[in-house]
Amino acid sequence: MTMTRMTTTSSIAFAAALVLPAAAAAQEPVPPVEIYTTTESYDPIRYEGAFIIQEAWEELGLDVTVTPMEFSTLLDRFYSEQDFDATILGWSGRVDRLDPQFFLGTLDSRQAEPGANNPGGYDNPEYDELFDAQAREFDIEARRDIVHEMQELYMPDVPVVVLFHRDEVVAYNNTAFTNMNAMAGEGLYSEWGAMEAEPVGDRTTLRIGGPQEPDNINPLNSTSVWGWKWMRLYYDRLVRLSPEVEPVDWAATDVTAEDDTTIVVTLREGMTFHDGEPVRAEDVAFTFDYYMDSSYSYFDSYLEPVDSVEVTGDHEITFNLTEPSASFATITLSQIPILPEHVWADIEDPQELSPDDIPTVGSGPFVFDRYDRGEFMSITTNPDHFQADEIAVDGVEFLIYADAEGVFTALDTGEVDMTAWRMEPGQIPLAEDNDDLTVVSVPDFGYFHFTFNLRREPFDDVAMRRALTMAMDRERMVNVLLEGRGEVGTSVIAPVNEYWHNPFLERFEFDMEAARAELEEAGYSWDEDGMLVR
Amino acid sequence: MSRRNYLIRRVIQAIFSLWVIATILFFLFRLGLPDPTAALITEGLNAEQRAAVRAQFGLEDPLWRQYLLYLWNAVQGDFGLSFANRAPVASVVWERLANTMVLMIPAIVLAYVIGVPLGAWLSWKRGTGTDTGGIALGLMFRSAPPFWTGMIVILVLGVWLSAFPTSGMRTLPYDADGFLDKIFTLDFLHHLILPALVVALFYLGSPLLIMRNTMLEVYGEDFIEMARAKGLPERRILYNHAARNALLPVVTQLAVTIGLAAGGQVAVEGVFSWPGLGREIFRAVGTSDFPLAQASFLVLAAFIITLNLLVDILYTALDPRVTFQ
Repeated sequence: MTMTRMTTTSSIAFAAALVLPAAAAAQEPVPPVEIYTTTESYDPIRYEGAFIIQEAWEELGLDVTVTPMEFSTLLDRFYSEQDFDATILGWSGRVDRLDPQFFLGTLDSRQAEPGANNPGGYDNPEYDELFDAQAREFDIEARRDIVHEMQELYMPDVPVVVLFHRDEVVAYNNTAFTNMNAMAGEGLYSEWGAMEAEPVGDRTTLRIGGPQEPDNINPLNSTSVWGWKWMRLYYDRLVRLSPEVEPVDWAATDVTAEDDTTIVVTLREGMTFHDGEPVRAEDVAFTFDYYMDSSYSYFDSYLEPVDSVEVTGDHEITFNLTEPSASFATITLSQIPILPEHVWADIEDPQELSPDDIPTVGSGPFVFDRYDRGEFMSITTNPDHFQADEIAVDGVEFLIYADAEGVFTALDTGEVDMTAWRMEPGQIPLAEDNDDLTVVSVPDFGYFHFTFNLRREPFDDVAMRRALTMAMDRERMVNVLLEGRGEVGTSVIAPVNEYWHNPFLERFEFDMEAARAELEEAGYSWDEDGMLVR
Repeated sequence: MSRRNYLIRRVIQAIFSLWVIATILFFLFRLGLPDPTAALITEGLNAEQRAAVRAQFGLEDPLWRQYLLYLWNAVQGDFGLSFANRAPVASVVWERLANTMVLMIPAIVLAYVIGVPLGAWLSWKRGTGTDTGGIALGLMFRSAPPFWTGMIVILVLGVWLSAFPTSGMRTLPYDADGFLDKIFTLDFLHHLILPALVVALFYLGSPLLIMRNTMLEVYGEDFIEMARAKGLPERRILYNHAARNALLPVVTQLAVTIGLAAGGQVAVEGVFSWPGLGREIFRAVGTSDFPLAQASFLVLAAFIITLNLLVDILYTALDPRVTFQ
């Protein structure tokens, strides 16, 4: 592939040198570029988006090809091989990514090696330095200043263009349940949803319908967000992220930083696991050790800052960190479940557990009931939980459908009370016409991005990237492709993530004239065919 | 050649075919499908962490070793563990296959029970409006995509009339001691009707048209002339003499249909959220779950090979002129 492209480029250059008079011979044509995107069937939005970009870029005088690719192949090409000019992909807005650590890390030069999260290869030492500084900064205000500064720093370089944030549009049956609050990036199927829902109909069990199901419900093997969305309902964590995404004490009653690398956690008293055994500080320490000893890589990034965990009192656990970590409470403590030591201690190879042998004993607000693969999952409300008085439902049932169409029919006929996943665009108006259904739209802090390969011409030139960004009609993408249900992107920290988002950033509005001016200023011009040369 | 030698030869052939298919499947998936851990990138796993997952799946070993291990285990009936949930794939495949067959067999039987006599009857009425109408109807259902028919049926009978459930095999949740306990219930029958109807309508066209056309050929035969000359009633000529002789191609078609049915009508299983093998295969291929995909396709192949063998044997019973030569 690369070979062919080089040959083509040089033969064009050669031909140009022959035809053009000596004065213009110094000008080299800008090499053609290829945009990788998803196939139309996988995601029509990213597919069409690529063509909107192609159209405007060709108008600027660039030779652009759009290559749609099967999704996994695309991921492989982009992340593992880094063999691309420019690629359209996305990051989903998982709740732990509301902490700026993850998304800011996608521009860290130390993540530019193959397989890591910065395939574009942005390399800015000043940015890296600030990245380390914010990761260590415990003072949340001071950390915010650094995070804002980082966004200001990278934006003019546009190593990546955040195309848009797509709204998550979900619906629930208002004749069955009320007090249904959607959470950014999570929709209605958040960890709070089931705890807040109040029945108004006959059924007191909340029924969720979704086309996705867990890969498995083994807390040491699940590698999908759908596994954890379910498991977090029956496992407690030390800290939970509030609907406003602030860490609130949960199984912990106190989290104190003794110094930069020593965090002392006080465990709530009187908690029990669903099998009646008490939740002890030893269980917490065991869980962290168990995860760190296992080869379960899904939590690796959460556990990275932890050096050791000790029980330092009846209900006290002390975490020793390898280096200061600002995201320790928001990410690490809020994501690692508390497992019962007496159940797991003897399991040597937890990743190889077959589905029937997987323990489901947690201490959470709900108790695991059953999981029939491809069909059904259910949990019942835990009357002994410290939060039990606040919970109005008797349990939660999750009905698994083959596709979004099945889910919508079930919602329409009252078989389920809410959708776990976004509706198809065609279903939204139908839901809006149905008086029994309430449609909820929440902005996403995940994003679809256009990543330049900064190692390749012509994207190694910042002026070129700036001009090309101005030539992306992102407003049109939102209006036409998302039917207005979304927001044009700015920085990698989404506007909905108000606390961390820097609102005073260069916006790169769609402006072809400004794009041309930017190019001219950088010494680009156009040949007689209107193609860009430099 | 004796019947016994013939059978032994056919069985050896079948085993050889299975080995070839197993080999093709193994390499096809590993070389053709994307890395099963590619999707983990979007979960934020780096190259090293993904390599650990690959090692867990046994994919870091040299390919030839994976292949030999796979063959050795397969001979012992062990098809490995699903990448997704570490379930033994053999049990997953059997359970899903049973779910699929319990939908497909009644539907196909229904299609043939209606289609064969209807085809015979249409041939009798050849050239009339009834014939034209019947052919048109059969062709229409045969060409209409089942997911579309399914959606219409769901909308009318499921949503508007609320007469039938629109998804799944049973009202959820349900408890069942094994497969038979699951299906010998009214609730299951209630769930079966809509998808089975859609599948039956789709399959109806084949026996109908094949029967009709073969019948027309048979009518030209001398023995029909003979039967008429004997003064037998038309009805008896039609069903006892002509139809029996026209059955051969229909039986072949039935065997092929049942063989392919093991893979399920993915579209129907999707529209009705039926937990069948088709949906499982779709998921397995989509997530590069090699062990599950291999086992599923291998079972399908075994199914088709076995049915073909059975049909060849059945032929000798249906038509004594067919011999083992």
